[in-house]
Amino acid sequence: MAILSLKDVKKNFGITEIIRGVSLDIVEGEKHAIIGPNGAGKSTLFHLISGRYNVTDGSIRFKEQHIENKPPYEIARMGLARSFQVTNIFQRMSVFENIRCALFWSKGYGYSFWHLLGRQTELNDEAMHVLEQIGLADRAKFPSGELAYAELRALELGVAIASGSELIMLDEPVAGMSHSEAQNAVELIRKITKGKTLIMVEHDMNIIFDVADRISVLVYGEIIATDEPKKIRANPKVQEAYLGEVHSA
Amino acid sequence: MALLKKSSIWIAFLIALLGLPLVFDSILAISILNQMVIAIVFALSYNMLLGQGGMLSFGHAVYFGLGGFLSVHALILIEFETMVFSILWIPLIGGLFGLLAGIFIGSFSTRKAGTVFAMISLGIGELIAASSLIFSSFFGGEAGISGDRTFGPMFFGFDFAQNIEIYYVAALWAFIATLFMYLFTQTPAGKMANAVRDNPERAEFIGYSSRKVRFISFCASGLFAGIAGGLFALNYEFITEENLNAATSGRVLLMAYIGGLGYFIGPIIGAVVLTLMNSLLSNYSELWMLYLGIMFLLTVMYLPRGFAGFIMMHQIAWIRGNMKLLIKPYIVTAIPALLFTLCAIALIEMSHIEDEVFHYLGLELNPASPITWIVILAVAGGAFFTVKRSLVQLNDAWETANAIPKEEEA
Ligand SMILES: Nc1ncnc2c1ncn2[C@@H]1O[C@H](COP(=O)(O)OP(=O)(O)OP(=O)(O)O)[C@@H](O)[C@H]1O
Ligand SMILES: [Mg+2]
Repeated sequence: MAILSLKDVKKNFGITEIIRGVSLDIVEGEKHAIIGPNGAGKSTLFHLISGRYNVTDGSIRFKEQHIENKPPYEIARMGLARSFQVTNIFQRMSVFENIRCALFWSKGYGYSFWHLLGRQTELNDEAMHVLEQIGLADRAKFPSGELAYAELRALELGVAIASGSELIMLDEPVAGMSHSEAQNAVELIRKITKGKTLIMVEHDMNIIFDVADRISVLVYGEIIATDEPKKIRANPKVQEAYLGEVHSA
Repeated sequence: MALLKKSSIWIAFLIALLGLPLVFDSILAISILNQMVIAIVFALSYNMLLGQGGMLSFGHAVYFGLGGFLSVHALILIEFETMVFSILWIPLIGGLFGLLAGIFIGSFSTRKAGTVFAMISLGIGELIAASSLIFSSFFGGEAGISGDRTFGPMFFGFDFAQNIEIYYVAALWAFIATLFMYLFTQTPAGKMANAVRDNPERAEFIGYSSRKVRFISFCASGLFAGIAGGLFALNYEFITEENLNAATSGRVLLMAYIGGLGYFIGPIIGAVVLTLMNSLLSNYSELWMLYLGIMFLLTVMYLPRGFAGFIMMHQIAWIRGNMKLLIKPYIVTAIPALLFTLCAIALIEMSHIEDEVFHYLGLELNPASPITWIVILAVAGGAFFTVKRSLVQLNDAWETANAIPKEEEA
């Protein structure tokens, strides 16, 4: 059953069409990778699904409900969490507070101004647990704006996964990490998304073939193929449009 | 243990509030203390917007003033026995109306942060200040309105005619308000206010409407500003348009900023320092506003995190036990710096006064004589040069005091 379903989604910026009619069904529990050359519209597609941009046309359904043009916070509350390609955290707050904030809504705190956080042991333990998972436990009290790049990326990932949403969308989560850091991050992503649905934009082919059940190839705002990794590799259209380009690069 | 440590700060704060009038018991001192506790609540409420929520408001006096006006009206109602309750509860009336005004105005002004919010706050401020002069039956026009706090039921034999009695009322309310404002920062709504300040967009992707988060802080801030207005009404027993206009809004911004927006204690420091300067400097010089402005400029330029930030800068040196390295260079820099400041003040005052003699620090200076000017300029120049030289040493000492010890590096 499709947990997320896009039908003929279009997005224009002014007169330029960036997303030109994307239809895509994401099956519940699958790990889906989106690949495509720079500027293909992968991040834009993420922004459309997560509510950052309104669609120009088409529909997006998450768990059977229309979510196109809804504000991001409503979509997030339905169980869709995402990370950003460009690190996007709460830079003047500590690493711990970043993660704890990401937990508030799913733990039912809402806009509460009557719960004292010092006393919410379960919440605080959970936040520490997430920090341990992303390897930032010893950085808990550190101002997050002063983290090193790889640590920032880990925090970006942590903020996205903390609440344990059903659908997790990661936009190039390991870009700019060293090989071993990326390896760790991929391991973590695999562990955390177990039993959940994952959509991930990634450039590194090894990682994609490693993690993904299915791959969609986005070129100039259109999905030219959606299939299992092996078949994608063999698809001549894909080779021409994308894979060839990577190998020659 | 942590709880004990935390509550000991609050107990110390309470003791300080209650003990200060025993130490400083002159009429002037009590009046300054009264202003101080009012300013503390007001400045803290302002920081809920700017420091904690990232909302730059140029119209915060609106909530203070409206709270104050309603409180004076309540005093009048008590006086004519339309309402019967102890004036102890007046600050709650101020707070309630600050909150209502916050709910009403916040419902549209918190839609956006940044410049839009700042401009709306300025517009609302001007609007309310202008209306207050127009609707004179409620606001009393330029003269304002006045009441009398000695009516109403007595409280254990107190009729609150004395300023010192009102001080204790104000101090207790200030304590409660400060405690609640601190506790607010420790709740999900308080933390999300920080998150929205830092990154309103990301906050939406973790389930929060940044507008609603701002709205909640805004209302809370209105509530506490209203309480401060109520305390003002009790203390002065009158209120005018001046208490809700742009000048008052500017002053509270100054207090919070100079004290340090990033720290809970910052606005408290700012409120104390500015109230003192306000009351003491204005006795000595007509130009005190100018000095205030210069101080604000210097703070913005050299201490962007305010006095509290300056104090907190020493945390590392303190933890490493290196404060002693800094004491000497600080004194060596402070002495010529003080001398320079005194010279600068002398020069500013001499160009301002029209008297034959200028009494300054026990000296009798002749502003008409060029020699006076030359001497002071020379001393100022020497002092300036010395400061520049000792700053180099201070800088070195700072580096040493904050350097990572060798064993830690390994
Ligand atoms: N807000 C915007 N306004 C106008 N054009 C935009 C906007 N956002 C993206 N674009 C354009 O849309 C195209 C797709 O951008 P997008 O960021 O989605 O690509 P991408 O596939 O994520 O690329 P990359 O691999 O570099 O991250 C680009 O040409 C970009 O310039
Ligand atoms: Mg992208």
